[in-house]
Amino acid sequence: MNIERIHTLLENYWNCETSVPEEQELQEFFNFGDVPEDLLQFVPLFAYKQGHQTMELSSDFEKRLEASIRKAGRQKQYITIKIFEPFLRIAASVILIAGIGISVFFFARQNNQVFAETYNDPDAAIQQATLALEKLSEALQATEEASVKSLEQLDNLKLDWSEIDSLSSGIPLYNPDSNNNIKPENL
Amino acid sequence: MSHDKFHRVILPLKDKLFRLAWSIVRDSAEAEDIVQDVFLKLWTKNEEWDNIENLEAYCFRTTKNLAFDRVEALSIRKTENIAPESESGVFTDNITPYFKLVETERNTLIYRCIDRLPENQKMVFQLREIEGMSYREIAEALDISEDLVKVNLFRARSKMKELLSGKQ
Repeated sequence: MNIERIHTLLENYWNCETSVPEEQELQEFFNFGDVPEDLLQFVPLFAYKQGHQTMELSSDFEKRLEASIRKAGRQKQYITIKIFEPFLRIAASVILIAGIGISVFFFARQNNQVFAETYNDPDAAIQQATLALEKLSEALQATEEASVKSLEQLDNLKLDWSEIDSLSSGIPLYNPDSNNNIKPENL
Repeated sequence: MSHDKFHRVILPLKDKLFRLAWSIVRDSAEAEDIVQDVFLKLWTKNEEWDNIENLEAYCFRTTKNLAFDRVEALSIRKTENIAPESESGVFTDNITPYFKLVETERNTLIYRCIDRLPENQKMVFQLREIEGMSYREIAEALDISEDLVKVNLFRARSKMKELLSGKQ
């Protein structure tokens, strides 16, 4: 290679007047050419360029990137769920209340007899209820009066209760081993 | 989600973005994490893709910003944290311990010079010298004018020349 051209290119290089291909030409000369002694001092610069142009990412970079993208996607979904968590709770509560309400509604419809009204007029219902209660009251009153009468009749008999009690105390207790027991024929 | 657009436009940038992130954090694992974060961010914002004028430039800007944020957060010691693959350089066929030592010293010299550059000069240097991007592409990626790209590149190269010439 013409050394004069190299000197010219190098001068242009320092003045930023070289094109990219010309700079590439210089780089090849300083790395692979027969560099004269007066230019050896610049070899480290072009060696640095040559060495660093071939630096590459590790071969498994794309695999790790894909894994990171998938992980980031999952985290994004989780964050979305976390953001909507309060709303999900509210929605769950609403669904629960609505479910209970609907269940009660259908249960009431199926058991119409229990909950059904027999009277359309409230006054009539009160009258009927009052009548029923009066009948119950009369029945209770009649029973009470009959009990009082029975007690009065007993009092009128003027029974001597002490004699009746002594009769029961004079009867000896039955003893299977004794001959003093009252025989049925003596009664 | 246009999976096709992601695989066609964004994913092929992965190595360029990795190198850009690496030039800032100087750590392969960190740089990979940054690129992964950039892609995840883009994936989740897929509905905004159509509103982004230059998706490639947007990826470079996002990577650059995330990398600088990461450096600030972790306080990575860049000059002392040189990844093993960067030490081999181009001469991978005949590595001897002596050669490796010389190569490491050379790279450390370059790193030291790059570390001294202001942020814009550093980014322009990386995108031109390593990625071979045109001034227009660099201007779009860094959201600055083409003139400013040239100025930054000129200053970065001048500093590199002075360092290598032993003037610094």
